[in-house]
Amino acid sequence: MYYLGISAYYHDSSVALIDDKGEILDFKKEEWHSRVKGDKSFPRLALEEIISNFDLNEKNIKFITFYERPVRAWITILKHSVKNNPIANDLTRNFFKNAFNSSMRFQMDLSKYLNLNKIKILYADHHLSHTLSTYYYYRDTPSLSLVIDGYGDKYCSSIHLIKSNKEIINLWNSEYPNSLGLFYSAITDYLGFEINEGEYKMMGLASYGEPVHFKKLSKTIKFENDKLEIDTDYYDYVRRIDRSYSELIPKLFDLQPRNSNETLILGTDTFKKYADVATSAQKVLEDLLQKIFEYAFKKTSIKKFLLSGGVAMNSVAVKKIGELPFVDTLNVPPSPGDSGAAIGAALYGYLKDDEKIINKSNEIINKNFYPGKLISDESFFDLVLEKISDNTNSLKETSKLIIENEIVATCYGNIETGPRALGHRSLICNAHNEKLISKLSTEVKKRNLFRPTAPVILEEFANDYFEINNSIINCYYHMSTVATPKEKFKNSIKGVVHADNTSRVQICNKEQLLGKILTFLKNDKIYLIANTSFNISSDPMVYSKEDAYLAMERMGIKYLLTEKGLYKKK
Amino acid sequence: MIISPEKNNNLLSTIMEFSYAEYGSALEMLAASKKTTNPKLKIGYIRHALDEYRHTQLLHKILNNQIKNGIGKFENKFRFSPKNVISKGYIDKNGFLVEKFKLKNFVEFVYSNEFLAKQSFEYLSKRISDTNSLNTIKDIIKEEDGHADDSLTVMNDIMKDENVHHGMAKKFYLTKFSEAQLKVAFTREKFKNRMRTFYFKNLKFLGHIFDPILNFLINIFGKIVNLISIPNDKDENLMSSKNPNSVV
Repeated sequence: MYYLGISAYYHDSSVALIDDKGEILDFKKEEWHSRVKGDKSFPRLALEEIISNFDLNEKNIKFITFYERPVRAWITILKHSVKNNPIANDLTRNFFKNAFNSSMRFQMDLSKYLNLNKIKILYADHHLSHTLSTYYYYRDTPSLSLVIDGYGDKYCSSIHLIKSNKEIINLWNSEYPNSLGLFYSAITDYLGFEINEGEYKMMGLASYGEPVHFKKLSKTIKFENDKLEIDTDYYDYVRRIDRSYSELIPKLFDLQPRNSNETLILGTDTFKKYADVATSAQKVLEDLLQKIFEYAFKKTSIKKFLLSGGVAMNSVAVKKIGELPFVDTLNVPPSPGDSGAAIGAALYGYLKDDEKIINKSNEIINKNFYPGKLISDESFFDLVLEKISDNTNSLKETSKLIIENEIVATCYGNIETGPRALGHRSLICNAHNEKLISKLSTEVKKRNLFRPTAPVILEEFANDYFEINNSIINCYYHMSTVATPKEKFKNSIKGVVHADNTSRVQICNKEQLLGKILTFLKNDKIYLIANTSFNISSDPMVYSKEDAYLAMERMGIKYLLTEKGLYKKK
Repeated sequence: MIISPEKNNNLLSTIMEFSYAEYGSALEMLAASKKTTNPKLKIGYIRHALDEYRHTQLLHKILNNQIKNGIGKFENKFRFSPKNVISKGYIDKNGFLVEKFKLKNFVEFVYSNEFLAKQSFEYLSKRISDTNSLNTIKDIIKEEDGHADDSLTVMNDIMKDENVHHGMAKKFYLTKFSEAQLKVAFTREKFKNRMRTFYFKNLKFLGHIFDPILNFLINIFGKIVNLISIPNDKDENLMSSKNPNSVV
């Protein structure tokens, strides 16, 4: 029997499939198919592909679980808006008008693809879905799961105590609108970046400034008396649909909101002013996260932590939390945001099935980063690409290209589960060549100069090059945190060290694709590869071979590595 | 959807709409490339998609040029967000055109709309004064014209393919692209576009009618909603305390 989990209607829709042993068989994001970044529509294309690849039907699906409780999610915001805003308020009206487009239409959308008369539909709490999506990968109990995101059904943050498969206790919550995620998004919006997309950019920008506004900003959101509270006078997400911050925020910083069409030029006064805002907001986020973690520890004395929700994608904050003295382990799932919550929803269905349990497993990490059945046709490449090596020799040939300072794109096997490219949908090059990395980031990927590029290193050399924190060791395997490079090697890998003297390093083993390439490269004294996702900024990651060829053309990439061989543009 | 810029006072919004329309076309072409098994067609669709992506970027440059030249001020709505391609209706969340149409109708649609796009760009060019932007638009017009021609070529290829597989070529060539057939398709698409434009242009007016009704409903519903209390689940076992079938 199969168990499906679905996340949709807020952002990054996705579908996850679990089998009757509790293993992930597939995970698909709708944006990979629709090519619309952050696509929140019902994941019809993702679902259709999974149904087709696994011959799913009403006879072999036990439960389909939706990742939140739709009516509760809708009513919570409407209730707050009706209570606190005038009736003619934009947010209230918009919410009311779009009820039919919200998650409340889930069953109706789903019924177009499966016969729901014979399949049971379940609903999991939004934050429980997050917790279970992390627990799937890290099963040590008892542990504390902290879910920190924008908004789920009713809650914005939660602390769950995981005692076992069947016992997850809700210890603490912050209710809407008291949200660390929405706070960070509001400042992202103020800085001219798109919400749910620009948070990475803001985090990158934060490395260049000073936290000069920290004190002022931390008065607008605080953790006091075991409660997270936001001053909504400063934040318009509770009353407007076109803006997340109020007029008080520009006054607070004495700086007008940035227009997104104005380029941030490194070294200018304007750049510094906005970087200071980003740094201050990042510091407020880290400070509040620390307080919530301290509270969780004081309440339970448990030192094993899991972190999920959109805020868990803040790799800089993950490093800081991992350094807290009471944290023995901190684990983040490969896909901590709402899309990954589909995995938790599927697991909820599985665990709700009578006596089904999942066992502790030490091998789970690194195993399920690329689930799915590979069905791929690249025969059309013959018309436009030249195969320069078949799959028996392609990795060695790829390593030669890297030595020759070429940039190679990969569209290899199944795609990564999470938002970070771990080698299967990557652009890779020699990490010791700073100029090449700068070209990769700005000319090829068309990203802002202030955004960092990440390095990949084999397990055996990680400690030589970086200060590795064992309490967050698993996070390095899917780029969920950053590490400080060691002084003696810093100069040789400048291109992958960010302004704050950290690198979002990916550690890999010899079995993984990039590990195999690095094994060839170490003979030539190249120990690190620079790795960034194979997509143009604002596009989803490349998924199919058609996407790969299109992206090659758009980005001017010459080489492509697939599971069938290495290609060169004709 | 193609907007007629000569009847739209807001030039910046118009350019932005064009960029979403081009982006939507790029996604449609990419979807078409994935649907076909014919390698030549696949590459053809991808090349068409590449052009449309490039047009989107060029339109953003044109928009920035207009702002630099003092024609309007930047507003948040001019921040390009790919998701808007769905909310604005340029892509149907229920299916790409290639999924909804038979190939023949799909190509007819593309042909008609590329032709309409070319016309719309010609209108737009009359309202652009800076030389750089104007030249960019002229280049786009040439390419849109090419796309319309490409559609005919693609149609030919599809039908050649059908000939091989289904022995239908003869029948096709008898009926192939009679002027009348394409004219009907073209008129149909033009009518649909006009209707869409009419709807979007009158959204504000419709708001005047429906917003008071909506406010009245919110007023009543709000009172009911305020009476609903969502239970607190603090200290509860989330795996067992709640009904898994409940949507609340």
